[in-house]
Parts: sequence; C-alpha cells; structure tokens
Amino acid sequence: MRGGNDKIWADVDWVLVGMYFLVVVLGVSNVYSSVYNPEKPGLFNLETEHGKQIMWIGIALFIGVIIMIVDGSLIRKLSFWAYGVLVLLLVLVLFTEPINGAKSWFGIGSFGIQPSEVAKVGVCLALSAHLAENPPPKTPLTPRISISYLMALVTQNWKTVTILAIPSLLVLLQPDAGTFIIFTSFILVLYREGYAGNVLLFLLVAVIIAVITLIVADSSFMLPLLKIKMGGKFGIVLALLFIGLAFYLLIRNFVLKRNRGGLYRALVGSIIVSILFVNFVEWGYGTFLDDHQKERIELLLGKMEDPDGKGYNVNRAKAAIGSGGFAGKGYQKATLANASQKHVPMQSTDFIFCTWSEERGFLGSAFLVIFYCVLLIKIVSVAERQRSRYTRIFAYCVAGIFFYHVMINVGMGIGLAPVIGIPLPLFSYGGSSVLTFSLLLFILIKLDSERKIVLQ
Amino acid sequence: MRNIDNRKYVIALIFIMIPLIFVVRLFYMQVVDDKWKERAAQISENKVITYPARGIVYDRNGQKLISNEVYYDIRVIPKQMDEDVDSVSLAKLLDISLEEYTKKMNKARDYSYRKSSEVVRQIPPDEFADIGPEMYKYPGFFEVERTLRIYPKPIAAHVLGYMSEVDSSDIKRDAYYKSGDMIGKSGIEKSYEQVLRGEKGVKYYLQDAIGIETDRYEDGAYDTIAQQGKSVTLTIDADLQEYGEELMRNKRGSIVVLEPSSGEVLTMISSPTYDPNLLVGRRLGQNYGELAQDTLLPLLNRSANSTYPPGSTFKTLMALIAMQEGVITEEASFPCTKSLVGCHNHPTARGVSDGVKMSCNPYFYYVTRKIIQQGKNKSHFADAAIGLDIWAEYLHSFGLGEDMKTDFPAMRYGFIPNTDFYDNEFPSKSNPYGKFGWAYSTIYSNSIGQGEVLVSPLEMANIACVMANRGHFYYPHFVKEIEDGDVPSVYTTKRKTKVEPKYFDPVVDGMWRVVHEPGGTARRARVDSLDICGKTGTAENFKMYNGKRHQLIDHSIFIAFAPKDDPKIAVSVYIENSGFGGTWAAPIASLLIEQYLTGEIKDTIKENRILEADLMPIRYQKKK
Ligand SMILES: [Zn+2]
Repeated sequence: MRGGNDKIWADVDWVLVGMYFLVVVLGVSNVYSSVYNPEKPGLFNLETEHGKQIMWIGIALFIGVIIMIVDGSLIRKLSFWAYGVLVLLLVLVLFTEPINGAKSWFGIGSFGIQPSEVAKVGVCLALSAHLAENPPPKTPLTPRISISYLMALVTQNWKTVTILAIPSLLVLLQPDAGTFIIFTSFILVLYREGYAGNVLLFLLVAVIIAVITLIVADSSFMLPLLKIKMGGKFGIVLALLFIGLAFYLLIRNFVLKRNRGGLYRALVGSIIVSILFVNFVEWGYGTFLDDHQKERIELLLGKMEDPDGKGYNVNRAKAAIGSGGFAGKGYQKATLANASQKHVPMQSTDFIFCTWSEERGFLGSAFLVIFYCVLLIKIVSVAERQRSRYTRIFAYCVAGIFFYHVMINVGMGIGLAPVIGIPLPLFSYGGSSVLTFSLLLFILIKLDSERKIVLQ
Repeated sequence: MRNIDNRKYVIALIFIMIPLIFVVRLFYMQVVDDKWKERAAQISENKVITYPARGIVYDRNGQKLISNEVYYDIRVIPKQMDEDVDSVSLAKLLDISLEEYTKKMNKARDYSYRKSSEVVRQIPPDEFADIGPEMYKYPGFFEVERTLRIYPKPIAAHVLGYMSEVDSSDIKRDAYYKSGDMIGKSGIEKSYEQVLRGEKGVKYYLQDAIGIETDRYEDGAYDTIAQQGKSVTLTIDADLQEYGEELMRNKRGSIVVLEPSSGEVLTMISSPTYDPNLLVGRRLGQNYGELAQDTLLPLLNRSANSTYPPGSTFKTLMALIAMQEGVITEEASFPCTKSLVGCHNHPTARGVSDGVKMSCNPYFYYVTRKIIQQGKNKSHFADAAIGLDIWAEYLHSFGLGEDMKTDFPAMRYGFIPNTDFYDNEFPSKSNPYGKFGWAYSTIYSNSIGQGEVLVSPLEMANIACVMANRGHFYYPHFVKEIEDGDVPSVYTTKRKTKVEPKYFDPVVDGMWRVVHEPGGTARRARVDSLDICGKTGTAENFKMYNGKRHQLIDHSIFIAFAPKDDPKIAVSVYIENSGFGGTWAAPIASLLIEQYLTGEIKDTIKENRILEADLMPIRYQKKK
C-alpha cells in the first residue's frame, strides 16, 4: 500500500505546516519582546526564555521529522502504549517535590517538563484508537430521566470513560485544574462521533443557569407588588416556574393533543432538574471551590472588584491589552506587559497575549484570534476529508484542545473567562506546551498525509 | 449517519462564534473604550510636575523687591521604604514629632503605595543643609526643590502682598492649580498672578510594578520644561517706600505718592506694617495668625482698603467747580460767618487763593452753596437736587468715587453722594430724607470735606496730581514694565477733568501760599527752593462703642505736590487720630518730597521730630 520515501512528503498539507511555522515564529518574536533583557541580547541565548523556546521548537521539529519518516500505522499501533507511558509519568510526577504547591514538574537541570501537557497527546491517541474501533451503536438509547438510562450509558461507554477519567483524576491530584478543564474538550470529539447529541445544548443551558445563579446568589430583591424580600436563588426558581408556565400555555394552545403528554413530562422534568441544579450550583460553589477559586469567579462575574489586590492579574492584563489601541504601541514598546516594567504577571506564558496585544494593538490581537480561528477551521476541514475514522477523531481531539486553550487563554486576558493558567498554543513560552502542540500537529499532518492510502 | 455528519457544522460554528465574540470584545477594549488606556497610564506612568520659579518683581530702578529662594519638600513613596525604617531618628531629623510622622505615613499609605506623598514641606535651605546628607539612609524618601518668595528689603508688605496655598475655589476657577500649589493672595502677587506664576513643567516616567521609575516615557517627547514666571517691574521707588515706612513708624495711617506726569504709584504705605518675609512658607500660618490678632490691624491695607472724609483738602475742588460753573470768579470774597460753620481767626479771604490759603470754612460754605443752589428751579429743594448732581458729576471727573482700574486687588474707592443717595438712602434706607426733603442747608458739611463724602488715600493723591497737572491725570497704577508684555493702555490714557486748566491757577497759588506764607496752614511743609504746594485737612471721625457714637481725635490730612511748576511728585498723607493736618501730615509729606527730589534731608530737626514721634493712640497700644 505504501509508496517509497519520496512519497512521504507528497500529500503533506503544506498550508498546515506553514501555519505552524508562522505561529511559532510570531510566538518567539513575542516572547523575545516580553522578556527582553539588554544584558542577555542574543536571540539564541539559552539563559533566556526565547532561547529556550527556540531550543524546544528545534527538539519538536526533530521529533516531527521522525514522525514524518515512520509509518502512520506505527502511530496507531503505539497509541495505547503512549497512553500507558504518559499515565505512568502522571503517576510518577505525584512523587516529586511540589513547585508552587503543585507536583507537576520533572526537572532536568534548568529545564523542566510537565507530563500533564504531554499526556494530552497520549489521551488523544488512545481516545482516537478506542473510538475508531468502537463506533456508537446504530440505535442510540432514547434519553430518559431514569437511573437505568444512566446505568446503560455508563456500561456501554465505560472504556471511553476510563480512558478520560484516569488522566483527569491524576492531573487533579497534582493539582492542575487547567489541564483537567482541557480534558473536557473531548466532549466536542464525542459529540462529533455521535454520542450524546444534546449534551452541548444541555451544557450551554447549564452554564447559563449556573452563571445567573452565581451572579444573583447572595443578592436579594423586593418582589414586585407584594412587598416581600426574596433571596436571589428564589428569584431564579420563580423565574423558572414562570418559564415553565409559559411553555405549558404554549404547548396547550399550539400542540396537538396526542403529542402533549410527552412534552408535559419533559417540561415538568426539566423544570425540576433546573431547580435542583440551581440548588446544586449554590451548594457546590460553597462546598467544592476554595477561596481563591471563588474569588476568581467573583472577579470574572464582576461581583468583586479589587484591581490592586486579588484582581491584580486581570486588571493589569486588561490594561495592557486595552492600552494597545488600534495599531498598538509598537514592537518592544509595551509599557505594561514588558520585561522591565513587569506590570503584567506571567507575561511570557499565561498572559503572553497581553504583550502581543499591547504592542500590536487591535490589528494584531484580532489577527491572532482570527489566525487561530482559521487554524481550527482548517483542522476541521482536514478531519472531514479523512476516510480513516482514527485520523478524523484525532484531528477533532487536536482541534478541541487548541480551541480550549485559545478560548481560555485569550478569554481570561479580556475578562471573558476565569483566570486559569494555561498557555496559548505555540505562542506562550514553555517547553512542554510547545512540544505537546507541535507533536499534536505533526502527528495530524503525518496521519493526514496518508489520507489517500489509509482507507479505514 | 447523515444527521451526525451535520454536527461538524455545529462545531465549526462554535469555532467561529467564540473568536468572533473575542474580536468584538477586543475592538471594544482597544479601540472604543478609553477606560483601559487611562488605567494603563495610571499604572505605568508617573507624572512628575516641576514647579517654575516665580517671576521676579523689581522696583522702578531695578532693585529686587521680591526674589526667590529654594526650599525643600520631603516626600515619600511607601512602597520603596525600608520595612525596618528607624522612624524615631527620621522624625527627629525632619524635626517633627513621632505622632505627626506616623500620621503622615498613614496618610501617604492610604493615598497610594506607589505614588509619592508629602511628609514635610518647605524646609528652609539652612535646615536642609543638615537633612540632605542623611537622606540616603532612608530609601523611599526624597527631596523636591521648590522656590519660595524672599523679600530682600523688608518693605512694601501691603503693596507686594503674600502667597499661600490655593483653596478649593481657586482650583475650581482655574485648572492650572492643583491642591498644594501656591497662589498670590493679595497685592501685586495677586494682581499679576498670571504673569508671575510661569508655566509648570511635566516629566512623564514609566514606572514598574513596584513603582520605581524605569524610563522616560517616549524618551521625553511629551515632557515640558517649567517656564519661570515673567518678571514685573513696578512703579514703586523702593528707597522712597523705605524712607516713608521709616517716617510712619509708630504712626497709624497711610501715604500714597504718585508721579503726576504718569499716574505711577511711587510709594504706597499703610502703617503699621510688617516684614513681608514673615508670611512665607511654613512661617505663614503662625505669623499670619499673630498679625491677624493684632489690634493695630497691621494686615489692613489702609491705603487701598480704607476710605476717609477728605476734610479741608476738599475745599480746593469746591473752588474749581464753582469757577468752572461760573457761579464765582477768582476774586470772589465771602465773610467768615462763624455762625454758619465754625472757623479759626484769620483775615477776611479776598479771593479763591486767600480762601484756600486760610482754609476758611464759611468761605467754602458760600462757594459750595453757589454750586448747589444755582436757582435753576424755583423750588429750593428741586434746585438743590439739580445742583448736587452737577457737583457730583464734576467730582467724578476728578476720579473720585470712580473705578480707576488700578492694578491692585480689592481696591476700595471713595463715595460721592448724589441726589438719589439723599432721596433714597440717607440717613437710612428705611427712613431717607426723600425727594425734595433736603436742600443745601441739609448737606452743607460736604463743602468742607465732612458729611457723607468719602475718599481713599489713593484718590487724594490723585487730586494732588490733578492740581499739579492743572486739570488732568492718569489712572494710578503699579505696573511699569512686564517682561514680554505691555502696560495696558488704560494707564497711559490722559483723563481730563471737567474744569479748564485756567481755573487751577488761583487754587494752586493758594496751595503754594498754604506752605510758604505767614498765616498758611502748613508752614511746617516748607522746604527752601522746592516750591511745595499743599492743602491741609482734618477729618472728624467717630467710632461706635456700646451703641454710642464717640468722637475720636481728628485724622491729620495733607495733600501736596512739588515743585509748583513742572511737578514731579504728588503726595497724600493720612495720619489717623493725630489732630490738625499741618502738625503731622504736612511735615511727613514734605520730608518725602524733599527726599525724592533732592535725595537728602536738610532740616534734620524736622526729620527727627517725625522719626521720634509716637502717635499711636493709647487705646490701641498693643498689650505687651
Ligand atoms: Zn474763616
């Protein structure tokens, strides 16, 4: 089935390759600006973050060339092995000395590697391998609100759940909430592969209800007409009941009598679930989240303002981005997110978008966001042209991870997402993340280059 | 399966929608909303104001009246302080109590950790000489130079005025001022504030997260350099001012000296006065309080803010108006009818010159009656009303009761009563004489400068100018030159009175005889060869005690100019509660004239008599 070595590069998607090089070059130039130290001027100086970044890109390219040379089927065969090794690393890392309160790093001299980053590659490979062999049943279970339905869901999908659950729990033990949240991006993959059709819709409604609940939770209001003071939570419950009443009236007047029964049941069920959910959110918020996580959420929701204290990071990030203006302050001319003023914390890693946006302004920041958008659509189109289920699933895994990283990293800088310390793909400084995202893209490019010969 | 393949569109939609929301949000944050740009400037930029030195004030001969001296403010940036700073020795070094130090530091921390706050202000250079070398021990503390006023000669306090911190109304009125800035509060400092203050400079620094300045913002492209205020040259003659203040020691009153040919104020004295250096910097508060409580009212500028009855000096004007109106001639003679109004013993005044020389009260009673009661109306009362308004109009043309636009803040001008005043406001607004309720016989006191008429010392000096110029004058003013500016034309415009020059001769002749002839009222003012012309006056005055009107000792008044031909100087002198004008006011005026015209005093007996005289009323003597 395979051609000779000359054919390895024949079907490579050079657009994707070009996008990779564009983003890493911009990334290095931006890291250079954000950490520039006049005493260490060399671009390739390994004592600097940009120097290290170039080194990591070099390592990634080296591995990338190996990936391109080996047979794609080897990657598919090694999927679970890679998963196993990386899970082992996630276990081993828990026995290291904590750095900044988390056991996330294997240190080698002044270089470190985060297994939780690289583990993403293993999870993608294993999930792709598993789902490729186990397509969802042709006749999916009818969703019902019952224990038996839930049990059936679990028993049918326990392998998938296990593949995702093991690394998720291990990163939570570090603790590394950021990576845990990234793992939820696989919901997009499952959705694409035919699982849980309404999951996305449910999640959207759940997020909206949760946000409203948190916003009004500890406020109170006066009930109109009747002068009764009510807690915010009861307001939501009341609103849900009114929505239920409105739907009831809609169903009664516009739906055929024979169809009404099921809709009534669904309506009553969803209202009850919603009300329970509201209480759960309030209870869960108070029970599971620690104080600084609550603070981050309250800052995001605007319930708390503390621009020089707890809200320092986001306040400085927003000021840096907002002050960039339309065309930016110019390369190496940032006054907040730069190396000497250091107003923005972690400006070469988690808040790298600030330096970029301050120096390049709206033109630059919009360009970068649109660039990632185009990259995501490009990966989707690559995914959809595959005859191999494995490659398609893997492509969606890559897209989902990239999407989550961009959404959260950019979102927290502009106040649309809570502060979760995760890097901007191929842009932030960080060996592990550069390596991870490079591997994901290279494997995708390799698998895609075999799209004409791998039919299943 | 087709159904499930459609899910790629949902995913693609999510992948497009979220970045789109981000782009919109970025557009709002970066392009539309200025909030974050302001916040960024607040965080990263440090605006340092540099204060300009204020303009220098010179006298007419180039002597410095007001100059500048460098003082030091100590400021602190709390974030840069050592945690274990030795507060006790620092407070001691700065010469403040530990409580005050703690209070200031708490206030500074409350204000900002990263921005500087003031700890001690206006440390004089001699004290700073001890503090400066120790400053390195206290990181976060630093000094800022500021210039304050210094007065090389301790004179002309009332003319020059003083400076103090701006108040909220100043800040509201003019965006130039920020809390803590200094502003001219009175005198020349106030009237030429805009000229003298200069332009503040601004330096923009970039500061890092702990508030340390790292770079100049945009390499200083937006920085401005503080521009020193423009200098102002005053018409004041510092030597004459100093001599006048010496003469006025232990006397209460005022002196105004003008140059008749220009209206320039050569000297303006209000006594008692104070050393202007007392009201500078940190001394201001306490010293001001002490001066304000002094019963002798040293802060009151009697020359600019007091009005008095003009007394007999006013008679010269009555003669001029009557001649111009044609109701008397130069030769007019009136008997000294003491039953009408009191007088001293003297030969009958035969003509205007005699009347002025002898200062005969009944003579001017008759003269003024001829002005007021001209018989233009059959009704005696209506006739008086017409006459009084004619009379008032003449007096206004002499600048009396008029705003003469003098470049001095809160200048008070005199008052010339008219028909409306007696109809509606006098003796009281609730119970006035009323229309046709009064005639000359009611208001005749004004003819001899008593009654309701009031003048300011400046106006009196201006009357002396009018006499010297035989009928014209210039609005009195203090400005001679402004650096890079012009003296307003209002001061160079010649103002003519309604009396023709020819009528001045007999009056001026009488004023010469007042000083030079036996029987004149101011023979103490005579200086050989200077041809001083003058007119004495005494002004009755009253003070209310416990609701009763008490007559006090008369104010002694003298106006004069010299020489008679080609006059160079015009003077008005008021010595409060000192009696007859010829006794004290006249010799003081003559000493000033002699000093100004000849540069020396020949009659040292006269000079010593004045220098040694203590005319402070016992009642007002400061408690020791
Ligand atoms: Zn007489």
